[in-house]
Amino acid sequence: MNPAVGLFAFLAVSIATAVIGFYGLRISRTTGDFYVASRTVPPWWNASAIGGEYLSAASFLGVAGLILLSGTDALWFPVGYTAGYLMLLLFVAAPLRRSGAYTIPDFTEARLDSKLVRRVTSLVVVAVGWLYIVPQLHGAALTIRITTGLPSWVGSTAVVLVVCLTVVAGGMRSITFVQAFQYWLKLTALAVPVVFVLLVLAGTGAQPQAPLPLNPTGQSAAGAYQHISLLVALLFGTLGLPHVLVRFYTNPDGQSARRTTLIVLGLLSVFYLFPTLSGALGRMFAPDLAQSGQADALVLLLPGRFVGGVAGDMLSALVVAGAFAAFLSTTSGLVVSLSGVISQDLFGGSVKGFRLAALLAAVVPLGFALMTDTLALAGSVGLVFAFTASTICPVLLLGIWWRGLTDAGAIAGMLIGALLCGGAMVAGTLMGPGNAPAWLAQPAAWSVPAAFAVTVTVSFMTKNRVPASVNRVMSRLHVPERPVVTER
Amino acid sequence: MTRVRVTAPRQSATATPGASGKSPHPREFVEDSDAGRIFIRSLIRSQLRLALVVACGFLVILSVIAVFLVYGPGVAETRIVGIPLDWLVLGAGIYPVIGLSAWLYNRAAARNEARYQDLVEDK
Repeated sequence: MNPAVGLFAFLAVSIATAVIGFYGLRISRTTGDFYVASRTVPPWWNASAIGGEYLSAASFLGVAGLILLSGTDALWFPVGYTAGYLMLLLFVAAPLRRSGAYTIPDFTEARLDSKLVRRVTSLVVVAVGWLYIVPQLHGAALTIRITTGLPSWVGSTAVVLVVCLTVVAGGMRSITFVQAFQYWLKLTALAVPVVFVLLVLAGTGAQPQAPLPLNPTGQSAAGAYQHISLLVALLFGTLGLPHVLVRFYTNPDGQSARRTTLIVLGLLSVFYLFPTLSGALGRMFAPDLAQSGQADALVLLLPGRFVGGVAGDMLSALVVAGAFAAFLSTTSGLVVSLSGVISQDLFGGSVKGFRLAALLAAVVPLGFALMTDTLALAGSVGLVFAFTASTICPVLLLGIWWRGLTDAGAIAGMLIGALLCGGAMVAGTLMGPGNAPAWLAQPAAWSVPAAFAVTVTVSFMTKNRVPASVNRVMSRLHVPERPVVTER
Repeated sequence: MTRVRVTAPRQSATATPGASGKSPHPREFVEDSDAGRIFIRSLIRSQLRLALVVACGFLVILSVIAVFLVYGPGVAETRIVGIPLDWLVLGAGIYPVIGLSAWLYNRAAARNEARYQDLVEDK
């Protein structure tokens, strides 16, 4: 690929992000603006922003790459990513909005009336955020390497720089607009090239090099255990993601939080059609990418392969721009929510503290990313979902729906979940991707139930610690804010 | 777009949103009576039941699809406009099911809340 194309696309996205960010700066002045855009973002904007934030490197590059590698097994990834939002809608969206808390630690502290719970939750949230930023930076490194030939570190460092600049400058107000813009950019960047490639293939009457169901790498298909474990991780991991949750606070009330989630589901469903199509095209017309270990770059290389000349360059530029939009939006969403948590616990919640925390939130994962290597993107993000599902999800679900939850139960559940799932992740990594047994490579199926069981058991054992405020908090979570208009 | 200023996060995490004056039935008022507490409990219970029913229903549909795609007779050979059936179902067919579940849930959840509010108003 022409190196200038990649560079141009990256610069264009960064500049667009910065311009929208700085435009937001002019109207962003109060502490509230910095944290949650003052809660006045209409559902469509908000839904686009949630979609923009959620669709990460794993969705943009990883899903198509994994479909190229393992076919229908990989189709469960986008299904799980989308269905995770259904679970979020059913169990979390409206109550969490009504809780009036800004971050997950805010929520657990208010619900359980305990500072210690707050601190443990903050630690877990920061761990989740950092784990999730690393694959984004790996994706950026891969994209820069493939498209410009520059060394990998340039990509990850550039993404961290742009994110820090926009977050420090504008806070959440501008982030909302940036994210909404980036959802539509990502959708366009995937859809237009795929449609062009399809037209070209139809026009030339090209014959597939391999039939769709054939497995180009000859890997054995995943068993039922892996499917179930993956779905548990994705379904229950989504509702604990810190950068996704913080978005719900920008809805005016519980009902609009639900409406926003419904729109998000629609946006995600439309989006995932295109990585699926890319993956299918890759399987039929570019199976060699799977053998050469470049599967995650499939989306980037596809248009250049089939569309030549200036048109091909322009399509490639569009895809690269979309890819960077994915890295930038997810990373900045995570950095915003992490800095919200870090600044409130370390720096007293001031705007200056928020800026310092943003730097801290972005630079640490950059170190990790530079020291480690790119795994399959969709797979490593899947593990982060497993970790979230084993730590934050039990506390959140039980906190919203069960009066019996106690601070001791919450802390025990989070620690055991983190220990089990984190331990499995470390052990699996040490053994290497091919050698780890399925139960270690995909821990969610046992670590999530274990975390729930520990939380419930310890809560039962410490019944006397149920906070006195439980009735008041529970009714705040579930009682509608104003007369409800039933949708017809 | 109207701009609403909010105070620093920590305070608002523990503040009561019902005090904003928008609600015609301040929550605190409802909470103070035995009947009010029962209304709130039954609202929470019906919302939880609804969420569980939709979640289980969706998971059952999902597992039926998964089992059908693996063991269904002739699935491996079935093609619709040249696309294998399993690709079509997993790649596109599941999404409308997700969206429909979400839409039905939203309607039912809003109805539960409206019923609660009718009860509170009747008092």
